Amino acid sequence: MLELKNISFSYPARERRQNFSLAMEYFAPSGQCTAIMGENGSGKTTLGKLVAGLLRPDAGCVLYDGEDIATWKLGQIGKQVGYLFQEPSRQLFTPRPLEEIAFPLELRGVPKDEAEAKAIELLRQFELEHIKDSTTYTLSRGEKQRLAIAAAMIAEPRFFVLDEPTTGLDKRRRGILAETLRSLMDGGVGILLISHDSVFVDEMQADIRIMDGGRLVN
Amino acid sequence: MTIDNEQLAIRRARQLPDPRVVFALAFVLSSFAVIIREDLWLMTGLMVISLLCAVCIGVDFRQMWRRLKRLFQLLLFVAILRSIFAPSGTILLELWGVQLLTVGGIQIGALVLLRLGLFITSGAMFTCYTVRRLIQGMVQIKMPYELAYMVSVGVRFIPQLAEELKDSLTALQLRGVVIEELKLKKKLSLYTYLILPVIVSSMQNAKELAMSMEMRAFRAARNRTSFYELSLKPSDIVILCGILAFTIFMGVILFIGVTIF
Repeated sequence: MLELKNISFSYPARERRQNFSLAMEYFAPSGQCTAIMGENGSGKTTLGKLVAGLLRPDAGCVLYDGEDIATWKLGQIGKQVGYLFQEPSRQLFTPRPLEEIAFPLELRGVPKDEAEAKAIELLRQFELEHIKDSTTYTLSRGEKQRLAIAAAMIAEPRFFVLDEPTTGLDKRRRGILAETLRSLMDGGVGILLISHDSVFVDEMQADIRIMDGGRLVN
Repeated sequence: MTIDNEQLAIRRARQLPDPRVVFALAFVLSSFAVIIREDLWLMTGLMVISLLCAVCIGVDFRQMWRRLKRLFQLLLFVAILRSIFAPSGTILLELWGVQLLTVGGIQIGALVLLRLGLFITSGAMFTCYTVRRLIQGMVQIKMPYELAYMVSVGVRFIPQLAEELKDSLTALQLRGVVIEELKLKKKLSLYTYLILPVIVSSMQNAKELAMSMEMRAFRAARNRTSFYELSLKPSDIVILCGILAFTIFMGVILFIGVTIF
Protein backbone atom coordinates (compact mmCIF):
# COMPACT_ATOMS: atom_id res chain seq x y z
CA MET A 1 0.00 0.00 0.00
CA LEU A 2 1.22 3.43 -0.94
CA GLU A 3 0.17 6.15 1.46
CA LEU A 4 0.65 9.92 1.40
CA LYS A 5 0.21 11.62 4.75
CA ASN A 6 -0.57 15.36 4.78
CA ILE A 7 1.81 16.03 1.94
CA SER A 8 2.58 19.59 0.99
CA PHE A 9 5.09 20.69 -1.54
CA SER A 10 5.90 23.92 -3.34
CA TYR A 11 8.37 24.63 -6.09
CA PRO A 12 10.92 27.41 -5.56
CA ALA A 13 9.41 30.82 -6.39
CA ARG A 14 11.54 31.16 -9.54
CA GLU A 15 9.90 28.06 -11.03
CA ARG A 16 6.51 29.74 -10.62
CA ARG A 17 4.26 26.78 -10.10
CA GLN A 18 1.38 26.38 -7.78
CA ASN A 19 1.61 25.01 -4.28
CA PHE A 20 0.77 21.40 -3.94
CA SER A 21 -0.97 19.88 -0.98
CA LEU A 22 -2.63 16.57 -0.27
CA ALA A 23 -4.25 15.44 2.90
CA MET A 24 -4.17 11.74 3.88
CA GLU A 25 -4.46 9.72 0.69
CA TYR A 26 -4.08 6.10 -0.27
CA PHE A 27 -2.99 5.06 -3.70
CA ALA A 28 -2.21 1.94 -5.62
CA PRO A 29 -3.26 -0.76 -3.20
CA SER A 30 -1.54 -4.01 -4.16
CA GLY A 31 -2.98 -5.38 -7.38
CA GLN A 32 -4.99 -2.27 -8.21
CA CYS A 33 -4.62 0.67 -10.52
CA THR A 34 -5.31 4.29 -9.56
CA ALA A 35 -5.51 6.74 -12.45
CA ILE A 36 -4.75 10.41 -11.88
CA MET A 37 -6.33 12.64 -14.46
CA GLY A 38 -6.59 16.40 -14.79
CA GLU A 39 -5.62 19.40 -16.86
CA ASN A 40 -2.06 20.33 -17.80
CA GLY A 41 -0.24 21.86 -14.85
CA SER A 42 -2.68 20.47 -12.29
CA GLY A 43 0.12 18.66 -10.42
CA LYS A 44 -0.17 15.09 -11.73
CA THR A 45 3.52 14.72 -12.59
CA THR A 46 4.51 16.45 -9.33
CA LEU A 47 2.46 13.87 -7.45
CA GLY A 48 4.19 11.08 -9.39
CA LYS A 49 7.63 12.51 -8.63
CA LEU A 50 6.79 12.83 -4.93
CA VAL A 51 5.69 9.22 -4.87
CA ALA A 52 8.86 8.07 -6.65
CA GLY A 53 11.11 10.09 -4.32
CA LEU A 54 12.34 12.38 -7.11
CA LEU A 55 10.92 15.30 -5.17
CA ARG A 56 10.92 15.47 -1.40
CA PRO A 57 7.81 16.94 0.30
CA ASP A 58 8.10 20.12 2.37
CA ALA A 59 5.88 18.55 4.99
CA GLY A 60 4.16 15.20 5.47
CA CYS A 61 5.48 11.84 4.36
CA VAL A 62 5.24 9.12 1.74
CA LEU A 63 4.84 5.62 3.15
CA TYR A 64 5.32 2.27 1.45
CA ASP A 65 3.64 -0.48 3.43
CA GLY A 66 3.82 1.80 6.46
CA GLU A 67 7.51 2.71 6.05
CA ASP A 68 8.49 6.36 5.56
CA ILE A 69 10.76 6.77 2.52
CA ALA A 70 12.20 10.11 3.70
CA THR A 71 15.50 8.53 4.70
CA TRP A 72 15.68 6.07 1.81
CA LYS A 73 18.21 6.53 -0.94
CA LEU A 74 16.81 6.89 -4.46
CA GLY A 75 18.22 3.49 -5.41
CA GLN A 76 16.38 1.89 -2.48
CA ILE A 77 13.13 3.54 -3.57
CA GLY A 78 13.85 2.28 -7.10
CA LYS A 79 13.75 -1.29 -5.79
CA GLN A 80 10.17 -0.68 -4.60
CA VAL A 81 8.86 1.73 -7.23
CA GLY A 82 9.23 1.67 -10.99
CA TYR A 83 8.91 5.13 -12.53
CA LEU A 84 8.22 5.98 -16.15
CA PHE A 85 9.09 9.56 -17.10
CA GLN A 86 6.72 11.59 -19.27
CA GLU A 87 9.53 11.99 -21.79
CA PRO A 88 11.15 8.56 -22.42
CA SER A 89 14.43 10.03 -23.72
CA ARG A 90 15.09 11.32 -20.21
CA GLN A 91 15.42 7.85 -18.83
CA LEU A 92 17.26 6.08 -21.64
CA PHE A 93 20.98 6.39 -21.14
CA THR A 94 22.80 3.56 -22.88
CA PRO A 95 23.84 3.29 -26.53
CA ARG A 96 21.99 -0.03 -27.15
CA PRO A 97 18.47 -1.12 -26.12
CA LEU A 98 19.76 -4.45 -24.78
CA GLU A 99 22.20 -2.67 -22.45
CA GLU A 100 19.43 -0.32 -21.34
CA ILE A 101 17.81 -3.22 -19.57
CA ALA A 102 20.77 -5.48 -18.81
CA PHE A 103 23.23 -2.87 -17.50
CA PRO A 104 21.35 -1.94 -14.27
CA LEU A 105 20.95 -5.65 -13.54
CA GLU A 106 24.68 -6.22 -13.98
CA LEU A 107 25.38 -3.32 -11.61
CA ARG A 108 23.12 -5.02 -9.08
CA GLY A 109 25.32 -8.11 -9.29
CA VAL A 110 23.34 -10.28 -11.73
CA PRO A 111 25.72 -12.30 -13.99
CA LYS A 112 25.96 -10.88 -17.52
CA ASP A 113 24.41 -13.93 -19.28
CA GLU A 114 21.46 -14.00 -16.92
CA ALA A 115 20.94 -10.23 -17.19
CA GLU A 116 20.98 -10.39 -21.00
CA ALA A 117 18.58 -13.34 -21.08
CA LYS A 118 16.13 -11.43 -18.87
CA ALA A 119 16.55 -8.32 -21.01
CA ILE A 120 15.85 -10.22 -24.23
CA GLU A 121 12.73 -11.74 -22.69
CA LEU A 122 11.41 -8.27 -21.83
CA LEU A 123 12.37 -6.87 -25.23
CA ARG A 124 10.47 -9.73 -26.85
CA GLN A 125 7.43 -8.98 -24.71
CA PHE A 126 7.39 -5.39 -26.01
CA GLU A 127 8.25 -6.42 -29.59
CA LEU A 128 11.67 -4.80 -29.46
CA GLU A 129 13.89 -7.85 -29.82
CA HIS A 130 14.73 -7.10 -33.45
CA ILE A 131 16.26 -3.74 -32.49
CA LYS A 132 18.16 -4.93 -29.43
CA ASP A 133 21.51 -3.92 -30.95
CA SER A 134 20.36 -0.75 -32.72
CA THR A 135 21.36 2.70 -31.53
CA THR A 136 18.97 3.87 -28.80
CA TYR A 137 19.04 7.52 -29.97
CA THR A 138 17.73 6.66 -33.41
CA LEU A 139 14.64 4.77 -32.22
CA SER A 140 11.19 6.19 -32.96
CA ARG A 141 9.15 7.86 -30.19
CA GLY A 142 6.97 4.77 -29.80
CA GLU A 143 9.97 2.43 -29.65
CA LYS A 144 11.63 4.64 -27.05
CA GLN A 145 8.43 4.63 -25.02
CA ARG A 146 8.18 0.82 -25.12
CA LEU A 147 11.87 0.48 -24.24
CA ALA A 148 11.46 2.88 -21.29
CA ILE A 149 8.49 0.87 -20.01
CA ALA A 150 10.41 -2.39 -20.38
CA ALA A 151 13.41 -0.85 -18.59
CA ALA A 152 11.20 0.34 -15.71
CA MET A 153 9.93 -3.22 -15.30
CA ILE A 154 13.28 -4.94 -15.03
CA ALA A 155 13.73 -4.19 -11.33
CA GLU A 156 10.43 -6.00 -10.65
CA PRO A 157 9.12 -3.28 -8.31
CA ARG A 158 5.98 -3.61 -6.20
CA PHE A 159 4.55 -0.29 -7.41
CA PHE A 160 4.61 1.50 -10.70
CA VAL A 161 4.24 5.19 -11.38
CA LEU A 162 3.56 5.55 -15.07
CA ASP A 163 3.46 9.09 -16.42
CA GLU A 164 1.62 9.13 -19.75
CA PRO A 165 2.65 5.60 -20.72
CA THR A 166 0.58 5.48 -23.92
CA THR A 167 2.12 8.54 -25.62
CA GLY A 168 3.43 7.49 -29.01
CA LEU A 169 1.97 3.98 -28.85
CA ASP A 170 -0.32 2.63 -31.55
CA LYS A 171 -3.59 0.88 -30.68
CA ARG A 172 -2.15 -2.63 -30.80
CA ARG A 173 0.87 -1.74 -28.63
CA ARG A 174 -1.45 0.01 -26.17
CA GLY A 175 -3.33 -3.27 -25.92
CA ILE A 176 -0.10 -5.16 -25.26
CA LEU A 177 0.84 -2.64 -22.57
CA ALA A 178 -2.60 -2.94 -20.90
CA GLU A 179 -2.30 -6.72 -20.95
CA THR A 180 1.20 -6.63 -19.44
CA LEU A 181 0.12 -4.20 -16.72
CA ARG A 182 -2.94 -6.30 -15.88
CA SER A 183 -0.78 -9.41 -15.53
CA LEU A 184 1.51 -7.45 -13.18
CA MET A 185 -1.54 -6.38 -11.17
CA ASP A 186 -2.60 -10.01 -10.95
CA GLY A 187 0.79 -10.62 -9.35
CA GLY A 188 0.04 -7.98 -6.70
CA VAL A 189 1.75 -4.95 -8.23
CA GLY A 190 0.06 -1.58 -7.57
CA ILE A 191 -0.05 1.02 -10.33
CA LEU A 192 -0.37 4.79 -10.21
CA LEU A 193 -1.30 5.80 -13.74
CA ILE A 194 -1.00 9.43 -14.77
CA SER A 195 -2.77 9.84 -18.05
CA HIS A 196 -4.97 11.91 -20.34
CA ASP A 197 -5.87 8.75 -22.27
CA SER A 198 -9.36 7.98 -20.98
CA VAL A 199 -9.72 4.94 -23.26
CA PHE A 200 -6.60 3.36 -21.77
CA VAL A 201 -7.70 4.29 -18.24
CA ASP A 202 -11.06 2.57 -18.88
CA GLU A 203 -9.23 -0.43 -20.32
CA MET A 204 -7.21 -0.68 -17.10
CA GLN A 205 -10.41 -0.49 -15.02
CA ALA A 206 -8.63 2.06 -12.87
CA ASP A 207 -9.96 3.94 -9.87
CA ILE A 208 -10.08 7.45 -11.35
CA ARG A 209 -9.00 10.50 -9.31
CA ILE A 210 -9.11 14.02 -10.71
CA MET A 211 -6.49 16.65 -9.86
CA ASP A 212 -6.89 20.40 -10.07
CA GLY A 213 -4.55 23.12 -8.83
CA GLY A 214 -2.38 20.67 -6.88
CA ARG A 215 -5.33 19.07 -5.08
CA LEU A 216 -7.37 15.94 -5.58
CA VAL A 217 -10.93 17.08 -6.19
CA ASN A 218 -12.74 13.78 -5.92
CA MET B 1 8.67 39.36 -13.81
CA THR B 2 6.57 42.36 -12.76
CA ILE B 3 7.14 45.76 -14.37
CA ASP B 4 8.96 47.00 -11.25
CA ASN B 5 11.28 43.99 -11.27
CA GLU B 6 11.86 44.41 -14.96
CA GLN B 7 12.77 48.08 -14.52
CA LEU B 8 15.07 47.15 -11.67
CA ALA B 9 16.77 44.55 -13.88
CA ILE B 10 17.23 47.13 -16.67
CA ARG B 11 18.61 49.68 -14.19
CA ARG B 12 20.97 47.04 -12.76
CA ALA B 13 22.18 46.10 -16.27
CA ARG B 14 22.92 49.79 -16.97
CA GLN B 15 25.01 50.03 -13.81
CA LEU B 16 27.22 47.12 -14.85
CA PRO B 17 30.38 47.83 -16.82
CA ASP B 18 30.22 47.28 -20.56
CA PRO B 19 30.64 43.55 -21.40
CA ARG B 20 33.72 44.41 -23.45
CA VAL B 21 35.38 45.74 -20.30
CA VAL B 22 34.69 42.41 -18.58
CA PHE B 23 36.06 40.52 -21.61
CA ALA B 24 39.29 42.50 -21.25
CA LEU B 25 39.41 41.94 -17.50
CA ALA B 26 38.76 38.18 -17.77
CA PHE B 27 41.34 37.89 -20.56
CA VAL B 28 44.02 39.67 -18.55
CA LEU B 29 43.31 37.76 -15.33
CA SER B 30 43.21 34.32 -16.95
CA SER B 31 46.29 35.07 -19.09
CA PHE B 32 48.31 35.96 -15.99
CA ALA B 33 46.94 32.84 -14.28
CA VAL B 34 48.63 30.84 -17.06
CA ILE B 35 51.80 32.94 -17.22
CA ILE B 36 52.58 32.86 -13.48
CA ARG B 37 54.36 29.55 -12.95
CA GLU B 38 55.77 29.36 -9.42
CA ASP B 39 55.13 32.60 -7.56
CA LEU B 40 52.46 31.63 -5.00
CA TRP B 41 52.24 35.12 -3.50
CA LEU B 42 51.73 36.75 -6.88
CA MET B 43 49.06 34.20 -7.76
CA THR B 44 47.34 34.80 -4.39
CA GLY B 45 47.42 38.56 -5.04
CA LEU B 46 45.90 37.99 -8.48
CA MET B 47 43.18 35.83 -6.96
CA VAL B 48 42.34 38.53 -4.40
CA ILE B 49 42.10 41.14 -7.16
CA SER B 50 39.95 38.82 -9.23
CA LEU B 51 37.59 38.19 -6.28
CA LEU B 52 37.33 41.93 -5.59
CA CYS B 53 36.44 42.57 -9.24
CA ALA B 54 33.82 39.79 -9.14
CA VAL B 55 32.29 41.27 -5.97
CA CYS B 56 32.18 44.75 -7.54
CA ILE B 57 30.49 43.39 -10.67
CA GLY B 58 27.94 41.63 -8.47
CA VAL B 59 28.72 37.91 -8.86
CA ASP B 60 26.40 35.90 -6.61
CA PHE B 61 28.94 33.71 -4.81
CA ARG B 62 26.31 31.85 -2.79
CA GLN B 63 24.53 30.73 -5.95
CA MET B 64 27.88 29.91 -7.55
CA TRP B 65 28.83 27.76 -4.57
CA ARG B 66 25.51 25.89 -4.79
CA ARG B 67 25.98 25.23 -8.50
CA LEU B 68 29.66 24.42 -8.49
CA LYS B 69 30.04 22.73 -5.10
CA ARG B 70 30.99 19.42 -6.69
CA LEU B 71 33.45 21.08 -9.05
CA PHE B 72 35.15 22.84 -6.14
CA GLN B 73 35.47 19.51 -4.33
CA LEU B 74 36.99 18.00 -7.48
CA LEU B 75 39.44 20.91 -7.77
CA LEU B 76 40.50 20.42 -4.18
CA PHE B 77 41.02 16.72 -4.89
CA VAL B 78 43.14 17.55 -7.98
CA ALA B 79 45.20 20.02 -5.91
CA ILE B 80 45.81 17.38 -3.21
CA LEU B 81 46.86 14.85 -5.87
CA ARG B 82 49.23 17.38 -7.43
CA SER B 83 50.65 18.08 -3.99
CA ILE B 84 51.26 14.34 -3.36
CA PHE B 85 52.77 13.58 -6.77
CA ALA B 86 55.13 16.56 -6.83
CA PRO B 87 56.95 16.37 -3.49
CA SER B 88 59.78 18.84 -2.80
CA GLY B 89 61.28 20.78 0.09
CA THR B 90 60.73 20.05 3.77
CA ILE B 91 58.86 16.79 4.45
CA LEU B 92 55.82 17.27 6.69
CA LEU B 93 54.31 13.76 6.51
CA GLU B 94 55.90 10.52 5.37
CA LEU B 95 54.35 7.04 5.42
CA TRP B 96 56.23 3.84 4.51
CA GLY B 97 58.91 5.89 2.77
CA VAL B 98 56.38 7.78 0.63
CA GLN B 99 56.45 11.56 1.01
CA LEU B 100 52.77 12.42 1.36
CA LEU B 101 53.03 16.03 2.46
CA THR B 102 55.88 18.38 1.61
CA VAL B 103 56.12 22.16 1.69
CA GLY B 104 56.90 22.29 -2.05
CA GLY B 105 54.04 19.88 -2.83
CA ILE B 106 51.57 21.99 -0.88
CA GLN B 107 52.75 25.09 -2.75
CA ILE B 108 52.24 23.37 -6.11
CA GLY B 109 48.79 22.15 -5.03
CA ALA B 110 47.84 25.66 -3.89
CA LEU B 111 49.06 27.11 -7.21
CA VAL B 112 46.89 24.64 -9.15
CA LEU B 113 43.89 25.47 -6.97
CA LEU B 114 44.39 29.22 -7.35
CA ARG B 115 44.91 28.96 -11.12
CA LEU B 116 41.70 27.00 -11.63
CA GLY B 117 39.90 29.29 -9.17
CA LEU B 118 41.00 32.29 -11.26
CA PHE B 119 39.53 30.75 -14.42
CA ILE B 120 36.25 30.11 -12.63
CA THR B 121 36.08 33.63 -11.14
CA SER B 122 36.83 35.15 -14.54
CA GLY B 123 34.06 33.08 -16.11
CA ALA B 124 31.65 33.86 -13.27
CA MET B 125 31.78 37.57 -14.11
CA PHE B 126 29.88 36.83 -17.33
CA THR B 127 26.98 35.35 -15.39
CA CYS B 128 25.94 38.90 -14.40
CA TYR B 129 25.13 39.71 -18.04
CA THR B 130 22.29 38.62 -20.26
CA VAL B 131 23.20 36.44 -23.25
CA ARG B 132 22.01 39.21 -25.54
CA ARG B 133 24.46 41.76 -24.06
CA LEU B 134 27.33 39.28 -24.20
CA ILE B 135 26.69 38.49 -27.86
CA GLN B 136 26.43 42.19 -28.64
CA GLY B 137 29.72 42.76 -26.84
CA MET B 138 31.41 40.02 -28.87
CA VAL B 139 29.98 41.36 -32.13
CA GLN B 140 31.22 44.86 -31.32
CA ILE B 141 34.77 43.58 -30.79
CA LYS B 142 34.47 42.35 -34.39
CA MET B 143 33.81 38.71 -33.66
CA PRO B 144 31.59 37.23 -36.42
CA TYR B 145 27.96 37.06 -35.23
CA GLU B 146 27.72 33.31 -35.96
CA LEU B 147 30.74 32.63 -33.79
CA ALA B 148 29.45 34.86 -30.98
CA TYR B 149 26.09 33.11 -31.10
CA MET B 150 27.81 29.70 -31.09
CA VAL B 151 29.75 30.68 -27.97
CA SER B 152 26.54 31.73 -26.21
CA VAL B 153 24.76 28.52 -27.22
CA GLY B 154 27.80 26.50 -26.11
CA VAL B 155 27.70 28.13 -22.69
CA ARG B 156 24.03 27.20 -22.37
CA PHE B 157 24.91 23.59 -23.21
CA ILE B 158 27.21 23.18 -20.20
CA PRO B 159 24.37 23.03 -17.63
CA GLN B 160 22.46 20.82 -20.06
CA LEU B 161 25.32 18.31 -20.06
CA ALA B 162 25.23 18.25 -16.27
CA GLU B 163 21.43 17.89 -16.37
CA GLU B 164 21.67 14.94 -18.79
CA LEU B 165 24.19 13.18 -16.56
CA LYS B 166 21.94 13.82 -13.55
CA ASP B 167 18.95 12.39 -15.45
CA SER B 168 20.91 9.27 -16.39
CA LEU B 169 21.98 8.74 -12.78
CA THR B 170 18.39 9.26 -11.58
CA ALA B 171 17.03 6.82 -14.16
CA LEU B 172 19.62 4.27 -13.12
CA GLN B 173 18.77 4.64 -9.44
CA LEU B 174 15.07 4.32 -10.22
CA ARG B 175 15.89 0.88 -11.56
CA GLY B 176 17.01 -0.15 -8.11
CA VAL B 177 20.74 0.57 -8.33
CA VAL B 178 21.99 2.10 -5.07
CA ILE B 179 25.00 4.02 -6.39
CA GLU B 180 26.24 4.83 -2.88
CA GLU B 181 26.62 1.09 -2.19
CA LEU B 182 28.63 0.32 -5.35
CA LYS B 183 32.33 -0.41 -5.00
CA LEU B 184 34.68 2.35 -6.20
CA LYS B 185 35.74 0.34 -9.28
CA LYS B 186 32.13 -0.21 -10.35
CA LYS B 187 31.27 3.40 -9.60
CA LEU B 188 34.12 4.63 -11.81
CA SER B 189 33.15 2.29 -14.65
CA LEU B 190 29.55 3.52 -14.29
CA TYR B 191 30.56 7.17 -14.76
CA THR B 192 32.80 6.40 -17.73
CA TYR B 193 29.97 4.32 -19.22
CA LEU B 194 27.46 7.15 -18.86
CA ILE B 195 29.60 9.97 -20.23
CA LEU B 196 29.56 8.83 -23.88
CA PRO B 197 25.73 8.59 -24.19
CA VAL B 198 25.41 11.99 -22.48
CA ILE B 199 27.77 13.55 -25.05
CA VAL B 200 25.99 11.83 -27.96
CA SER B 201 22.63 13.01 -26.64
CA SER B 202 23.90 16.60 -26.32
CA MET B 203 25.25 16.45 -29.86
CA GLN B 204 21.87 15.30 -31.06
CA ASN B 205 20.23 18.19 -29.22
CA ALA B 206 22.73 20.55 -30.84
CA LYS B 207 21.85 19.12 -34.27
CA GLU B 208 18.14 19.63 -33.63
CA LEU B 209 18.79 23.17 -32.42
CA ALA B 210 20.82 23.91 -35.56
CA MET B 211 18.01 22.56 -37.75
CA SER B 212 15.44 24.64 -35.91
CA MET B 213 17.61 27.76 -36.29
CA GLU B 214 18.10 27.17 -40.01
CA MET B 215 14.35 26.75 -40.43
CA ARG B 216 13.90 30.16 -38.80
CA ALA B 217 16.28 31.66 -41.38
CA PHE B 218 19.38 32.00 -39.23
CA ARG B 219 22.17 33.35 -41.48
CA ALA B 220 19.68 34.08 -44.27
CA ALA B 221 20.90 37.69 -44.49
CA ARG B 222 24.62 38.35 -44.77
CA ASN B 223 24.68 41.58 -42.81
CA ARG B 224 22.92 41.91 -39.50
CA THR B 225 22.00 45.16 -37.86
CA SER B 226 21.19 45.57 -34.22
CA PHE B 227 18.57 47.75 -32.58
CA TYR B 228 20.46 47.56 -29.33
CA GLU B 229 24.08 48.74 -29.40
CA LEU B 230 26.62 49.05 -26.62
CA SER B 231 28.50 52.27 -26.00
CA LEU B 232 31.38 52.76 -23.60
CA LYS B 233 30.60 55.06 -20.66
CA PRO B 234 33.30 57.28 -19.10
CA SER B 235 33.47 54.84 -16.17
CA ASP B 236 34.17 52.00 -18.64
CA ILE B 237 37.08 53.98 -20.11
CA VAL B 238 38.46 54.51 -16.60
CA ILE B 239 38.23 50.77 -15.85
CA LEU B 240 39.87 49.93 -19.19
CA CYS B 241 42.73 52.31 -18.35
CA GLY B 242 42.99 50.58 -14.95
CA ILE B 243 43.20 47.17 -16.64
CA LEU B 244 45.90 48.47 -18.99
CA ALA B 245 47.89 49.90 -16.07
CA PHE B 246 47.51 46.63 -14.17
CA THR B 247 48.72 44.65 -17.23
CA ILE B 248 51.81 46.85 -17.56
CA PHE B 249 52.46 46.57 -13.82
CA MET B 250 52.21 42.76 -13.90
CA GLY B 251 54.32 42.64 -17.08
CA VAL B 252 57.07 44.61 -15.33
CA ILE B 253 56.99 42.27 -12.33
CA LEU B 254 56.98 39.10 -14.41
CA PHE B 255 59.26 39.93 -17.31
CA ILE B 256 61.66 42.50 -15.92
CA GLY B 257 61.84 40.73 -12.57
CA VAL B 258 60.94 43.49 -10.09
CA THR B 259 59.86 41.79 -6.87
CA ILE B 260 57.34 43.33 -4.53
CA PHE B 261 56.46 40.41 -2.23
